[in-house]
Amino acid sequence: MKTYFNDLPKTALGASYWLFAVYLVLPLSLMMVMSLKDANFIAFPINSWTLDWYAKVLQDRQFINASLYSIGIALATTVCATIIGVWIALLISAENIWGKAAIFALACLPAVVPGLINAISMRIFIRALDIPTGTFAIVLAHTVHAVPFVVIMVLTRLRSMPANLVDAARDLGADPFIAFLRVTIPYLMPALIGGMIFCVLTSIDDFVRTFFLGGYQPTLPMLIFAKVQGGMSPEINAMATIVLIVTTIVGLYAEYFTRRSRS
Amino acid sequence: MQPVVQFKNVNKFYGTQAAVEDLDLAIDAGQFVTLLGPSGCGKSTTLRMLGGFEDPTSGEIYLDGKPISHLPPNRRNVNIVFQDYALFPHLSVMRNIAFGLELKGLAQDAIHRRVTELLSLVSLADYAERMPAQLSGGQRQRVALMRALAPDPNVLLLDEPLSALDAKLRQQMQIELKSIQQKTGKTFLFVTHDQEEALTMSDVIVVMNKGRIEQMGGPDELYARPRSRFVADFIGRSNFIEGKVVSVSGNIASLDWQGNIIHADVNGTSPATDKVVTVALRPEALYCLTEKPEGRLALKGRITGRVFKGAHTSLTVTLENGTSLLVQLDPVALSHIDGDDVWIGWRERDAVLLAD
Repeated sequence: MKTYFNDLPKTALGASYWLFAVYLVLPLSLMMVMSLKDANFIAFPINSWTLDWYAKVLQDRQFINASLYSIGIALATTVCATIIGVWIALLISAENIWGKAAIFALACLPAVVPGLINAISMRIFIRALDIPTGTFAIVLAHTVHAVPFVVIMVLTRLRSMPANLVDAARDLGADPFIAFLRVTIPYLMPALIGGMIFCVLTSIDDFVRTFFLGGYQPTLPMLIFAKVQGGMSPEINAMATIVLIVTTIVGLYAEYFTRRSRS
Repeated sequence: MQPVVQFKNVNKFYGTQAAVEDLDLAIDAGQFVTLLGPSGCGKSTTLRMLGGFEDPTSGEIYLDGKPISHLPPNRRNVNIVFQDYALFPHLSVMRNIAFGLELKGLAQDAIHRRVTELLSLVSLADYAERMPAQLSGGQRQRVALMRALAPDPNVLLLDEPLSALDAKLRQQMQIELKSIQQKTGKTFLFVTHDQEEALTMSDVIVVMNKGRIEQMGGPDELYARPRSRFVADFIGRSNFIEGKVVSVSGNIASLDWQGNIIHADVNGTSPATDKVVTVALRPEALYCLTEKPEGRLALKGRITGRVFKGAHTSLTVTLENGTSLLVQLDPVALSHIDGDDVWIGWRERDAVLLAD
């Protein structure tokens, strides 16, 4: 009994962890289960199962278009945010730069400004500049939001980089640009891949900024939102399940890649 | 013959702080030259100026007779072995060594041949595909060395490359470095604060202190004929005694030291009579006897301290005139000594006059 008593805190810790896991997974599982129900409304009991909802979703032009549109925006965002983020990180990590802390604070600001405020200010901003709502405006807002994450990830990696790696490359005949390309970039790769996947995922996930800045063409979250307003159906569950599975795979791959290059 | 490297009146200031002052140094081809000195003496700055990572404040550096001070590191035909190796972690051993060759635009098969040849020179042929993280400290050291040698530099610069290794491996690498230098015939410029490393490997040692060259010469010359108190103290250990010059005849000066007349080599100085000068005496150059010897210098003293060091024993002998000398005896010499009363002396050529 004594050992049992001693193990109690550990048991309690384990139990609370599993409770949390169930709390996390249960709603998702419920959503996935309901996407397989052969009926029009979402409720137990489930009398028969079907994959028809998935077939319907995959043939849905609206869904396909919205997905491709979201992916396109995400890729454009990622390219812009990575270039700007790496550039800012290099600027901050360089010695003797005046106002280093200010640049860093400014670059990180969009990560802590509430999405709604960000979206409204962006809307006012593009109106002032006569930029129409639509793809360009969305990419602009998503990029601003994604840059801080790239900066922080790249900066963390840069700080662990031995200073004389670049010196060694220069010494062996590389000009500054070649040294950057062949030594700094490969060293940053885990952070770059992680940061880029993070950019893609936040962009695809974003609703508020897209809602304020979007044009007539819906992104995936906007499409799902519109559908939900028309009433829940297992079709929405099927859509959400597909998005969940794809993003999970991408996220896990990113994690795996970062781990592998770290060892 | 024209020196490979020449520093002409080179100065380096950080603000008003001088790191290197009035440096004039010529290095001949094929030699193993060591810059030796305590930290902050300017030896690393000198190396980095030659590598192109620091700009001299004034003066000019010549490589093979051509001024190079204005050239960036990638346009100088010198390569550095960095203190912590700085191997590229994302490249294999093979690709690390090939790095400089690829930038020179060599063909793939020529690169492969050269890398293979270099790897076999340090018995690492089986490790070509390994990543740096999978190598031991000594292996990384060898890869860094081969990477720097691969592009065939005019001079190889080594920035305290052995300091991260343990004592045993360090001794082994000293011998290996020296043998690689002899095999390749390359000029090595080695920077260290470790006098033993410098004595083991160098053809020429340049002792630096406070940004200036104290003395330059072969290891045996520096050890036997230190010109300044700093050199005599930094390389090996020395007793220092001060005496007043009585007379000078040829190379030998007679001094009055606390009432005793002793003799010392003038060591290139020209001391004036009645001037007080410093004499350096190596602890192992002193003899220590229980009987007063005939016809040789002998000062009476008493052993006041013994430190056993294994291969030898260090004695502190306090002389009748009140001064203490450090005497180093091997076990054979020590076995002849019983009791604490001894006679101390030295051959006149083993005592050298210092310039300061």
